[in-house]
Amino acid sequence: MQSPYEGRLIRLRAREREDEALLYQWFNDPEVTEFLSMRYPLSHAQERAFIESASEISYGKASFAVETLADSRLIGGVGLERTSPENRSAVLGIALGDKTYWDSGYGTDTMRAICRFGFEMMNLHRIELEVFEENRRAIAVYERVGFAVEGCRRDAQFKFGRYTNSLVMGLLEGELIGHKE
Amino acid sequence: MEGVKPMRAPFEGKLVRLRAREPEDEPYHNQWFNAWDVVRYLGRRYPISHAQSRKMLEPDPRYGWSIGFIIETLLEGDPIGQVFLGSASAEDRSAELGISIGDKSRWDGGYGTDAMRTVCRFGFDMMHLHRIELGVYADNERAVHVYERIGFRTEGRRREMYFKEGVYHDTLIMGLLEGELVDG
Repeated sequence: MQSPYEGRLIRLRAREREDEALLYQWFNDPEVTEFLSMRYPLSHAQERAFIESASEISYGKASFAVETLADSRLIGGVGLERTSPENRSAVLGIALGDKTYWDSGYGTDTMRAICRFGFEMMNLHRIELEVFEENRRAIAVYERVGFAVEGCRRDAQFKFGRYTNSLVMGLLEGELIGHKE
Repeated sequence: MEGVKPMRAPFEGKLVRLRAREPEDEPYHNQWFNAWDVVRYLGRRYPISHAQSRKMLEPDPRYGWSIGFIIETLLEGDPIGQVFLGSASAEDRSAELGISIGDKSRWDGGYGTDAMRTVCRFGFDMMHLHRIELGVYADNERAVHVYERIGFRTEGRRREMYFKEGVYHDTLIMGLLEGELVDG
């Protein structure tokens, strides 16, 4: 049996206090946050509070640290939140903070692992995410694992001096691609 | 004054007025949100107690930014429903809109359309919003027509988003930007 926490390259694990230093570094790096909704500098206190609030994983807040299988190195975070038991739906958020792991399949593998966890362990029916329309690399990853573009929210966010659109993407149970051995 | 548009009360449309919620609205509020044909197309699914109704009508500490109104008729001053602009983002100048006409005798009389126009005008002209968004069940055709009539565009369709009455329903994402409101 394949561990529900593991993909081919990465493992999902609970967040720990020791993760704070790396998170602080990543989320104060504008290159990492360019396509994320965050826009203000983050303090150590905010990062500690975030980890504190996220470290007890539950159906309502399934937030994970992402580490490499090869050397257990922390490279990012991913989560399923705003879970609705009646609709069996959740909203997915992901950020690979370690830029040296970009463009090498870690994001795709993380997406497959978290979606498999959502469907097979949390019994979700629908996973939704939102992505800046200009974040083509991320959109390609989401489409590769099976997400469909369901909508385009016009001028949904203001950043870097202008309004940009964001895409709403959805994945239903049975639609996840490439997660089986 | 020359160049200044004639004054039009920002709370008033042609048929309705928006006013702040009051604790005294509790009886109507509770009745509306326990009527299945009122709530079937809303996010609600459980019966609501009087205590919950009272709580929902308590002054919102964010009032002025996240804002809920009672819709009342201009003519009689009868409360007929509620509308809110919530989840507002200051940086994005965006908010989410929710509306329900709880008094069924006022359905199909133009009150919903007029309340929508009034609250959107308020959002753009008084709150200085750039974008107003709403979610609607794809099979709630009457509501979709009202939103389209005042300028909302369908921006997307969330597949099987809501489970209610034994089946999954798609919901539409609809958006209205400043300058797009179609006046009646």
